[in-house]
Amino acid sequence: MVTRGFLESSERSLSLSPMASAALVPSRAEVLSLFRSLLRTAGKFSDYNVREYAKRRTIDGFRESQTLSEPFSISSAFADGMNQLEVANRQAVAYSLYAPKVKNMMEIRSG
Amino acid sequence: MAAALRPAILRHIRIPVQTLGRSRPLPCLHPLPTSMIRSMSSHGDDHLTREEIVERVLDVVKSFPKVDPSKVNPDVHFQKDLGLDSLDNVELVMALEEEFKLEIPDKEADKIDSCSLAIEYISNHPMAV
Repeated sequence: MVTRGFLESSERSLSLSPMASAALVPSRAEVLSLFRSLLRTAGKFSDYNVREYAKRRTIDGFRESQTLSEPFSISSAFADGMNQLEVANRQAVAYSLYAPKVKNMMEIRSG
Repeated sequence: MAAALRPAILRHIRIPVQTLGRSRPLPCLHPLPTSMIRSMSSHGDDHLTREEIVERVLDVVKSFPKVDPSKVNPDVHFQKDLGLDSLDNVELVMALEEEFKLEIPDKEADKIDSCSLAIEYISNHPMAV
């Protein structure tokens, strides 16, 4: 079963070589678009815990890299983000195959 | 000969339609039984009123962790008045999408950077719940 650390460890995606990523500094719009895509994908998970984790991790990850100034580190962070997006998309599908039948208690709005 | 036979046969086979007189409703429907009056059904009011939209939008903005609720009003600008940045803007718009069960395309979402624009967009969206 995929552990909660899936975004970091379970799938080792191929990352772009350092030379290639140095040339691909993303524009501001691309960064925001990646942010939004990651949040949307995070919202698709059927498991409450994984969903919340993915949202938190996205926000934290982007905040951490907010102050980067070197083009190389910016583009490699962006490339990481794109890889994670691919991973998350695949995992969202995989998780949906084993979706829990009962809603997590945290998801039930108390009346 | 076959052409004449056909209508004759059909006249026998077909059951004539009897229409009920429209002047008098069926006895069991008059007066309308209470089970047919759905007083608690909200089927007709699919449209959100503007006040509702404004209130819900303000609630979402106020409950955003980085926002000071006392500064929130319907004209407030997310980045200029509330001190949020572009990432927060994206988060806020996603929270609004969740509240109103919408999916806002990226191009439109990028333009929503104030309460008034959000209220405007949602009021014009036919699918807002």
